[in-house]
Order: sequence, then C-alpha cells, then structure tokens
Amino acid sequence: MSLRRFSLLLLLALAAGAVQAAADPLTMGVFPRRNSAETARQFAPMAAYLGERLGRKVTLATSKNFEAFWEAVREKRYDIVHYNQYHYIRSAQSYQVIAHIEEFGKSTICGAIYVRKDSGITDLAQLRGRTVMFGGGEEAMISYIANRYLLERAGLRNGDFKALFAVNPPNAILALDHRQSDAAGAGDSVLELPEVKAAMNTDEVAVLAVSPPLLQLPVAVRRDMPAALRESIQSLLVNIGNDEAGRQVLKAASMTGMGKAEDRDYDPHRKLAAAVFGAESFPGRGVRGTP
Amino acid sequence: MRLGLGAKFTLTVLIFLAATTAANTFYDLEASARFHEQQLVERGRALGRLIALVSPEAILGFDFLLLNDYTREVSTQPDVVYGAIVSPEGELLSSHIDETEPFVKKHMPKGPRTALDLLRLQAARDELINLRFPISHDGKILGEFLVGLSREALHEEFRRQLAVKLLALAAVVLFLSVAIHTVFRFRVLQPVQRLIAASQDVGRGLHALVEVKSSDELGLLTRAFNAMAEGVKKEQDKLHRQANFDTLTGLPNRLMAFDRINLEINRARRSGQRFAVFFIDLDNFKGVNDSLGHVAGDQLLAAIGLRIQAALREGDTVARLGGDEFLVLASDVASEVQVEKISERLLQAVAEPQDINGRKVLAQCSIGIALFPDNGDDVETLVANADNAMYQAKTNHRGSFTFFTNEMNTRLRKRVQLEQDLRAAIELGQLKLTFQPIVDTSARRHRGAEVLLRWNHPERGAISPTEFIPIAEADGQIVGIGDWVIEQACRCWSKWSQGGVHPGFLAINISRIQFRRRFAARLAELMSSYGVPPEALELEITESVLLDDHHEIAEELDRLRATGVKLSLDDFGTGYSSLSYLKRFRFDVLKIDRSFVAGLPDNEDDVLLVKAILAMAKGLDLAMVAEGVETEDQLGFVASQGCDFAQGYLFGRPMTDDAYLDYLRGLQVRSDPPRMPYARRPHATSLAAKEPMVRSKEDTE
Repeated sequence: MSLRRFSLLLLLALAAGAVQAAADPLTMGVFPRRNSAETARQFAPMAAYLGERLGRKVTLATSKNFEAFWEAVREKRYDIVHYNQYHYIRSAQSYQVIAHIEEFGKSTICGAIYVRKDSGITDLAQLRGRTVMFGGGEEAMISYIANRYLLERAGLRNGDFKALFAVNPPNAILALDHRQSDAAGAGDSVLELPEVKAAMNTDEVAVLAVSPPLLQLPVAVRRDMPAALRESIQSLLVNIGNDEAGRQVLKAASMTGMGKAEDRDYDPHRKLAAAVFGAESFPGRGVRGTP
Repeated sequence: MRLGLGAKFTLTVLIFLAATTAANTFYDLEASARFHEQQLVERGRALGRLIALVSPEAILGFDFLLLNDYTREVSTQPDVVYGAIVSPEGELLSSHIDETEPFVKKHMPKGPRTALDLLRLQAARDELINLRFPISHDGKILGEFLVGLSREALHEEFRRQLAVKLLALAAVVLFLSVAIHTVFRFRVLQPVQRLIAASQDVGRGLHALVEVKSSDELGLLTRAFNAMAEGVKKEQDKLHRQANFDTLTGLPNRLMAFDRINLEINRARRSGQRFAVFFIDLDNFKGVNDSLGHVAGDQLLAAIGLRIQAALREGDTVARLGGDEFLVLASDVASEVQVEKISERLLQAVAEPQDINGRKVLAQCSIGIALFPDNGDDVETLVANADNAMYQAKTNHRGSFTFFTNEMNTRLRKRVQLEQDLRAAIELGQLKLTFQPIVDTSARRHRGAEVLLRWNHPERGAISPTEFIPIAEADGQIVGIGDWVIEQACRCWSKWSQGGVHPGFLAINISRIQFRRRFAARLAELMSSYGVPPEALELEITESVLLDDHHEIAEELDRLRATGVKLSLDDFGTGYSSLSYLKRFRFDVLKIDRSFVAGLPDNEDDVLLVKAILAMAKGLDLAMVAEGVETEDQLGFVASQGCDFAQGYLFGRPMTDDAYLDYLRGLQVRSDPPRMPYARRPHATSLAAKEPMVRSKEDTE
C-alpha cells in the first residue's frame, strides 16, 4: 500500500469516526427528586433544546430512585447531569460543574428550620429531645446538611433530637403541618412552592433558623467531554433565558434562570458537609437527597 | 257527577292497573336503586382497598403530597364527595373534597374545609355513604382511609327513570283506557243500552223484544229480559182486563165505561151528535140474593148483562158498575123517541124470565137516562144525572125509565145540601127530641110518650123527619142520629125520674139501618149508664126491618127482648101488613096507623079495617095503640072496640122535654104512677111484606 493510499484510508477512517461521534446522542441525567414522569415532563424540553442547538441528539434519562441514579453517576453513564450540590461534591472527580440553576429569581438557597407558630418553640435549643423532620435524606444538601449544620452550631448533635426523613422538603413541611414532628428542615423557599401552598396554610409555620446562602443546584458534564462541546453546552445553558424557546424550557423545569458555575463555587457546600459529617464527610450509606 | 257504567268499569280497571303497574315500577326502581347503590358501595370499597394498599409507603415516607394525590384522585372519581387519610390518633393527614359535588355546594360553607369538617355535618352522615378502610403495614395500623360517596347521582337517575316510567305508564294507561272503553262500549254498553231502551218501552206499555246477538251472559240477560217482557205483557193484559172489565159478566167496568163516555163526549163534540147514558138498577135484586143465594144472584147478573148487550146496537156499550147496576152508552141518538125505544128494549131484555138452577126467576129494572149535551157535558155529570133519574124512576114507578130533568137536579142539590147540613146538626144542637103522650083509653090516664125527632134548620126552619130521615138512612148518618136519640131519651128519663117525676115509658122509633148486631148491646149499655129500667123503654119497629134476613132479625129481636124492653110493630096496615111477620116475630104492641083512625067512626072501610086489626090483635094477645086520635068520637070508637091505648092531639101535641116535664107534673102522675100497660101474649107471627119503609114520623098525630 502506498503512502498516499494509506493516508487516504486514514482520512476516511477519521472522517467516519468524526461523523460517528457527531451522531452519538448525549445522555442527560436528572436526579429523581420528583417521579420519573414529572421529571420527564420538566426536562424533556431542555434535552430537546440542547439537542437542537448542539446539532446532536440529547437523550433524557430518568431514574426510578436515587440508588439507580447514583449508580449511573458512578458509572458515568450521563454526559450531562443535573443533581444536588452534595451529589456534585461527591462526584466532582468524574464530573465538572458548568452551570447552576436559579429558582424564584435567586441563584442561592438557604437551609431553614421551621416550627409551627402554636408550638411555643422560639429557639433551636428547644428542639432538644424533640422530633425534626428533614426533607429528603441525609444526602440532602440544603434540607438536611445545611440544617444539621445549624443544629450543630446550636449545640445539638446527632442524637440530641430525633431525626425523621420525609420523602422531600415539601413533605417535611407538610409533616410539620400535620403535627408529625416538632420541626422541619427544608430550603428557605419551600413555602413558596405551589404544592405546599395548596396543601397547607403556610401562615401557621414560622422560620426558626436560616443557614448561610449556598449556590443552587448544579449542572455538570463528564470531565472527559471535549472542551468545545462542554463550552457549547455551558454557553447554551447560561444563555438559555435569552430567547423565548429557552424561557419556555426554564418554565417547564420550574426554573427562573441559569448561571455559570465553577467547581470552587461549591466549596462552601464542602465545608458544611465536613462540619456535619466530620471524618465521615462523604458517607456511603445510600444516596438520597435534594437541595 | 254521574258516572256511567263504562266509565266506572274503565276507571276501576285502570285504577287497579295503574296501582299494580305503579307498584311494580316502583319496586323495580327501588331494586334498581339498591343495585346501583350496591355497585356504588362496591366501587367505593375498591377505591378504598386500593388506597389502603398503596398508602403505607407514602405514610411511612411522610409523603403527604402523594397522599394528597391519592385523596385528590379518589375525589375526582364519579360520585365521590371526599377522600381523606387520618392517622391512628385521628390527625388528618390528607383530605380532598370535590367542590363540584352538589352535596358540597349545598351543605358546605365556602373557605378552607376538610373531610372531617364535612363529616361533622348530620347531612353527611344521613345522605352520604361513608366508608372507612384501615391502612396497615406489617400488622401495624398506620391510619384510616375515609371515602364519602354521594347518592345524588343515584337519586337523579332514580328520578329520571321514574319520570320516564311514569310517562310510559301514563301512555299505557291512556291507551288501555281508550281500548277498554271502546271494547266495553261496543260489547257491553250497547247491548245494555238496547235493554234500557226496551225496558223504557215496556215501562210505556209497549211490547218490545230485543234481538239476541250473543250467547254470553248478555245474551242470557237479553233472553231473560224478553221472557220478562212477555210476562209483563201478559200481566199487563191481565191487569188491564181486571182494571177495565167486570170479572162476573165480562162486561166493561165502571172505569172503562167512563173512558168510553169520555171518548164519546169528544167524538160527539166534534160531530155535533147526541148520545145517551142509561143507568140501570135491578129492582129487588136483594130479594133474589136472599132467597136463592148469591151464586144464583151472580148467574142472574151475568145473564142480564148478556141480554142487555144483545138488545143494543153494535158499537153501543154496556158496562156493569157494580152490584146490580149497569150502564149503557148509546151513541149517535137522533131523538128522545129513539132513546125511549132503546129503553123499552132494555126493560124487555131484563124482564125476560131467566132459568136459574131450574127455577124461573123474574127480574125488572129501573132506568135513568141522561143525554149529551142536554144533561151534562162531562162524564161525571152525565152518570150522576142518569143515576138521579134512575132513582126517580125507582121512586115513582119501578120497572120504568125516566129522563133526567133539571128539577131532579135541583132536588138532588137540595138533598146534597141537606145531607151536609144534617152532618153538623147534632153538633150545632139543631136536633131536638119531642114527646107525645100516650094514654089508656079506659081512664085516659097517662102511660108514657112516643119520642119524636125534630130538626130546626137555621134557614129552612123545622124540617120534617119524613124529609131528613130517608137522607140520614141513605148516607148512614141514621146510625149516629139514632144512637143520639136513644141516649138523649135515656138521659131525659133518668133526669125526670131523679127529679121525682115518673115519666112512664118512652117509645122510640128504630130505623132498619140501626138494626144491626151491635144494637142490642149498645142499648143495654145506655140503659145501664143512665139507670133506665127495661120497662121504661119501648122500641118501635116498622115492617121494613123485618124484610132483611129473617134469621138475623130473629136473633137480634131475641137479644133486644133479653134486655127486657118492649117491642112494638109500628104503622101496622100501611105496608105489607104481613101476617107471617106477626107469626114469626114476637111483638108486645101493635100500633094502628093514624090513616085508619082518621076516618073513624064514619068511614065504613076504616071502621071495618080497625075492627079487623083489633080483633086480630086480641087474638094474638097484643096490646093496641091507636095513633092520630084527635076527637072524642075517635077515642070512643077505639075504646069501644077494645083498643088499649091512644095517642094523638086529643091528648097532647109533641112537646119539648121541658114542656113534657111540666105536662107530667101537671098530671101529677106520681100519685098514680103508670105501669107497663101492655098485656103480654105468647107470641105474634108477622106477615110477609116486600116494600121497605122509611122510619120517620110526622108530628101530626
């Protein structure tokens, strides 16, 4: 075989590989803080938006539960992934944050501990020996970790109160409303959620303590993603609110906007997790969480 | 409102039909409602079991949003009003109410509310189907699922089906109404109406049979009706015959005779013709009955009826009015001469001898004739005038005919007026008793008096007994008057006697009409009441009394004699003077009529008659009283011939009771009280006489 002929074959092979690479769909995973159907309803427009803009199909992958989702994260089956801050700081070796979301016009969120106004509780110390309902699980960055941080600072360590976990933050506040606990831990915007407003009288609960603001939920891509592609995706997400199609995508996903994010933006989260969990900062007891 | 048979029948059937169908429909709807309610409950149970099955995970995970999804989803199911999940402590974990449910709109106030608020309502407990399902996990009770089901849709469906079925029922009932009524009308009502029409025809006297068109009950009814109609016709014919014909003679009776006279009046008015009414009465028919028996009398009447009919023209009518009275209607008579000829034929026809049970019986009649329009223009007047004329004929000359005259009419009216006046005479005190003395001829001593009746009419003055007694006997008033006379006589005698005056005996005239079975008993009763001894009374009886049934007369005379009173045969010689009467009946006294005394002592015939009577009386041992003695010569003659007593103007005129009392006192009869003067003889046999007499006396004696 001549050099020219070998070169030609190589070019054809590279071209075929390039075409093949361009044709492979990207997989976008979304953590299952809502059920699969609701997750698909919210994020299918975003996948379509990205696929259309990238010229490459983006497939939305939902998970039936957090265990399955985390397994897919560990196996890096998602090219693009949207999950909570604690997920990110645990998977930062495999994924690189490129954007964060905004809810209710805010790019940050605080942890908040709620009590019923008729409970007579006005100080965190009064929760000693009482029941605290947290939204999500122990991996929930805002509902659990940030609020545990507040309790730690108030001198209440694990065991000084009884910790219960609702399936998500809205249910934690609803459990408080239904007198299933003396306090509830969730994000500071949980009372703004329509499903919460519809299910209870939010005037009957009060915020007992609020954590420092933390950056909202991240969107990350695989660290081995080509830089051009990563940058294209980042650019599309950060600027998604600039056109009507993008705003419809945000609305469908119950977001008010997206911003650019870097890994160090999540260092505060790492600090709070370390304060709560100590040596076991990143427990491997299962992955359940929500902001 | 009057309902016809068809309407009643149709209404009754429809009421039963509607009631049973409605009951059935209602039962079906009730069963359907129960079935659908059961289905609803089953659906609620299925929902409840499903929610109870899926809820534990959400409860354990405090997934209230999911529980809300469950209750909301349940509440959106049809007929579900609310869904709720409560904790074992009763804490409400999730609740959703279907705001669109009518029950919620009706009973729940606006604003925040839960299923527990709803359940506190009594209406929810009453109107909703409330089901509870326990929620458990690994044997631990986690809570309870509550679901409320509304019956509103069931009720709405019930009402809808009820309305549909009622409409259908109404349509069926309407259809059946028309159908039943139509069938009933043609199959039942029309035959019944034919029967009704035929019944009405029968009621009007028409003989109408109804065609039998079927063999069912209506056919049988029609046959029965026809049989009844024929029976009715036979009975009607029978009744018509009984009502219009005389059963004895087969001749028309009074009713039909009057009808025919009425028809004849109308016909004669149109034609301007005359016709005659003959009133026929047999003379002495009673004698036939008494002597030959009533059967023979009936045979004679039937035979005479046939003979009268045979003597008439075809088209003339003969009717039997009753008893021995016949009536003949002769149409189209041209003159009185023709009527006289008809009358003569009738007299001849009646007078022909008739063979009754082998004996020749002779009869005769008296005929009164009234002509139309001369003697009346209506049936009553014509018959009454003919009757009056017949009476006149019978009075004047039996066995003759007499035309009615206006004088008869006047006499009749006068007689009728007198009858009416006489009825009131006793009450008005117009009747009075007078007393005429009777003396013995030897010493002219007073022995008693004959009681005489006087009527002082307020307009006509004194009316003679010969005028009013026959009237009183004819209309029966004589019974009351006679009774009054006896009672007054007894009262007077009792009063005088109690006043110390001995009045002697009182001779009282008795009418043959009074002479009946009860008379003796009544006399005894009055005598007892007033304390009058029997020797104080003498009853004067004329021969006419003896004309009646001899056996009964003999019995009554025996009863009177048993009372002790004396019996006197009055007016002897003026009537039949039957010696057989004197033989058969016992009398105490014989009174010689004044007509024989008046000619004494110069008239040779009277002398011979009086001598013969006195001789006969002596032979029969009867006391004798000469009536109408007015002169000394008359007294001397009768005394010389052995007459015991005398009565007349020579001794005194009839006096009122007061005058008679004064007369008695004047005679001072107390010093020589009268004794019963009449000698008693074994018995006297009377002679037969036929002519009835009127029991009346003039005060001219």
